[in-house]
Amino acid sequence: MSTVRGVDLPFGRFDERRLVLLLCFLPLGVFFAVVWLVPVLYALGMSLFDEPTGGAQFVGPGNYIDLLTAGEFGYFLWNSVLYAGSTTALSLLVGLSLALVVNQRIRGGNVLRTMMIFPYLLPTLVVIFMWRFLLDPNVGFVNQLLENWGLIAEPIAFFSTTGLAMAAVVVTSVWKFGSFAFFILLARLQAIDPDLYERARVEGASTWQAFRDITLPNLRGAILIILLVRGIWMFNKFDIIYLATGGGPLSATTTLPIWVYELAFDSIDFGGATALAGIMFFLLAATAIVYFHAFQPEREVAT
Amino acid sequence: MATPIHLEDVRKEFSTLGETHLAVDDLSLDVPAGSFATLVGPSGCGKTTTLRMLAGLEIPTAGRIRFGETDVTDLPPQERNAAMVFQSIALYPHMTVRDNIGYGLKVQGVPESERNERIDDAAGTLQITDQLAKMPGELSGGQQQRVALGSALVQDPDILLLDEPMSDLDAQLKAELRVEIQHLHAELDTTVVYVTHDQTEAMTMSDQVVLLREGRLAQADPPQTLFDRPASEYVARFIGTPSTNVLSCAVERGETEATIATGEFELSVPADALPSSIDESVRLGIRPQYLHPGGGEHRFEVTVEVVEPLGTESVIHGRTGDGTRVDVVTSETAGVAPNETVTVGFDREHAFVFDREGETVLFGAELATGDAREPYDRTESQSRSTL
Amino acid sequence: MGSRGGIRRERAAGSIVSQRTQARLKRIAVYVTALLVSVFVTVPVYVMVAIAIQAPSDVFAGGQVHLLPDGVTLRNFVVLVTETSSVRYFTNSLIVTASSTLLSTALAVAAGYGLTRFDFRGKTLAARAVLFSYMFSPIVLAIPLYVIFFTLGFLNSYFALTLALTAISAPFCIWLMWQYFQTVPIALEESAWVRGASRWRTVRDVVLPVARPGYISAAIFAFAVAWNDFTMARVVMSRDEMYTITVGASLFLDRVSIGWGETMAVSLLIAIPPFCIALFLQQYLLQGFSVGGLE
Repeated sequence: MSTVRGVDLPFGRFDERRLVLLLCFLPLGVFFAVVWLVPVLYALGMSLFDEPTGGAQFVGPGNYIDLLTAGEFGYFLWNSVLYAGSTTALSLLVGLSLALVVNQRIRGGNVLRTMMIFPYLLPTLVVIFMWRFLLDPNVGFVNQLLENWGLIAEPIAFFSTTGLAMAAVVVTSVWKFGSFAFFILLARLQAIDPDLYERARVEGASTWQAFRDITLPNLRGAILIILLVRGIWMFNKFDIIYLATGGGPLSATTTLPIWVYELAFDSIDFGGATALAGIMFFLLAATAIVYFHAFQPEREVAT
Repeated sequence: MATPIHLEDVRKEFSTLGETHLAVDDLSLDVPAGSFATLVGPSGCGKTTTLRMLAGLEIPTAGRIRFGETDVTDLPPQERNAAMVFQSIALYPHMTVRDNIGYGLKVQGVPESERNERIDDAAGTLQITDQLAKMPGELSGGQQQRVALGSALVQDPDILLLDEPMSDLDAQLKAELRVEIQHLHAELDTTVVYVTHDQTEAMTMSDQVVLLREGRLAQADPPQTLFDRPASEYVARFIGTPSTNVLSCAVERGETEATIATGEFELSVPADALPSSIDESVRLGIRPQYLHPGGGEHRFEVTVEVVEPLGTESVIHGRTGDGTRVDVVTSETAGVAPNETVTVGFDREHAFVFDREGETVLFGAELATGDAREPYDRTESQSRSTL
Repeated sequence: MGSRGGIRRERAAGSIVSQRTQARLKRIAVYVTALLVSVFVTVPVYVMVAIAIQAPSDVFAGGQVHLLPDGVTLRNFVVLVTETSSVRYFTNSLIVTASSTLLSTALAVAAGYGLTRFDFRGKTLAARAVLFSYMFSPIVLAIPLYVIFFTLGFLNSYFALTLALTAISAPFCIWLMWQYFQTVPIALEESAWVRGASRWRTVRDVVLPVARPGYISAAIFAFAVAWNDFTMARVVMSRDEMYTITVGASLFLDRVSIGWGETMAVSLLIAIPPFCIALFLQQYLLQGFSVGGLE
């Protein structure tokens, strides 16, 4: 050994190397620390105090216990699960059927694909305006249609009727988020080797059999990921519900994210709000662990 | 100016996740100025790593690399006057062919008029003048390869490094470009180091073939020497197609003679021709080209499995009685059919004798005249194989 | 051969009929689905446009909503400009969207390059951290950020909102660039180094041009996140003159002076950038979806 050398890095030791390394990771590190690590830890600390913004008093897990034993917790959690479950399942259904349709290379398939981008890109606020108008009891298009067809006698205020508000929010959400599943599934469908279908036909498989034995197994991973990731996102969705109903009527659409906002900015209870955010954080972390173990998504980049 | 290349005990370790992998193990090598050297070997033998160390893309863990008198071991790639053609061709997809070829000159600050002149020259030599305005994506694989060559030679490098540049081309284009590259080498004043896993390429193009095995040098010699005097069973098997046949034989030592034998033939050699380290068994190598159906001094039987006609010749694939694979290259295939048995034979001048470790201990050619001869000197073979 | 062949033929003959029916059924199902989804997707958009470009008096004349415009008027847009702070809101939105798009994309390009070009321990951990923050809920992050910004006195500033928006868009952009740079062969850079180009020069001449489709795609996603955002702006900005257009416009419906006409007009304006992206930059968006898409 003629010289002592440093750790072996793939591009050797150029003087510039360290600079590049620094420039790549220093901003990233600072950024993550400032907007993620510090706030999250600070908030987790805060959740252990009563009235943390003034006259803070350490209460340990008190805020958590208060939340978990409050009567609303179960109800709001149920609302979250109901909302996340139904929107995820329905947008998967819409996305899957449309992806299968567009994958048939029908005429106008490209137009359909372009069209599906709009709901995804339209700001949530705009989506809410549209649907609040469409479902409005006085001027709403949907009520007019239903009345004209004689299906209902009185116009219905969908967003402010306890039994229907959740359904209205779900429909609105599916309208906006259905295209997520669509694009991912379409990409997966188009990646299936067409020879597989040719071979199945030569071997005598029917359309249904080909779908069951080739298409579905190929989509399985994508579908599971959509269910999981979309499910997490919908469980944590705030803006679309807040803008549609504000959590009402009578808490009928109050989910955990809405409750967090109410605790923080309506009740000015930051101890409770940060504790609830903490609970949601741990729920998310638990789901993430399942996700990482089941799918090992990091393999796509770190091999 | 072509520059000689010297590698002195060059060693390269890679460590990933705590595991150290030795890619190149104390390699010493000299490539004379202006010559064409080919690094060859199966994948993972360290040939590409060696080339990348020459380019400066990897830094050796130990040992020195010199270009002429200059020690370049720790020089970054930018400061070595070497040009490299990559296995993936590595053309910039966002630049025209002209800009691709001229990029190195641009970086070095060559004025545009001179740059264009040199690009046009190179393009003319490589017959890609018509493609200069195109983008790389519009070119065929062979044309892209020519552009990559052009980018390398336009820089007038001291050393030209080529990393399996033809691995993605079809056989015909390969043959065409092989001639082209040799042609360029003859014209240019540059030392060429060429990496390939294809022994045909290595044998047809080089002044010197460097065969590597698991990071070590197996043999470095001119192609014909490698073919005629392989230093080991590994070299004998790697060089030449089909691969050299190897038979296990028993050894019986007498007073003056030793006998190398299978159940079917006996080969007598002077007792002192076999080093004393050889006790009961050796392996005997015979190239398929030197096995003749119905001919040869020493014969044995082969059960034919497949006959592969290649035009003027055919390859007979078969097995001996104990199941050892044997290939025979011959133009006499009359009556040779699968499941038939043929008798094949060889002359002892074409046999190689390997010891248990696979080192060559005896070349049949040295026994050919039958008179008194110098016993084969192992130390000489050792010194050859490390050059 | 005979009997087996016979059975096969019979089955084949049977499936010819059913295959034809199957194909026809499939075709019908395909077109019905396509039609239903098109209606479902386009009707709300159409209604928005129809109401935005008509005077409210025309739309709501005679008890029924008029959705086939007789004429086009800019009246609603004029009202927006003269009677609301929409211009101010749009300006705010543009400022924070532009700065957060830039910041997020720059971070992502640097990180993606570094993460693919340097080998180090803990890559799996880094990948998981990125993915975890990518799944994170904006509102759950908004609370801690609010607390921090409040403590530091940063509320109601472009700076704070830019950071908050970048916090939610950067993880996906990093993921996207990480994946993108993996497809850019390292040999392109090595070949530039061998030819004498410094690392900087290589980044400028080779890396950035080659990575262009990647970072355009990242920028589009970062833009969409910032432009669409309601949550972060609602939490970070509490003064009317600092509202972004989404927050400002969300309060329109509570005002007596503003009706559906103006509301749909502002919606149409907000929708213009996404429309342009959908029409002209579609392929970059699809590329983003191929690695996961965003919220």
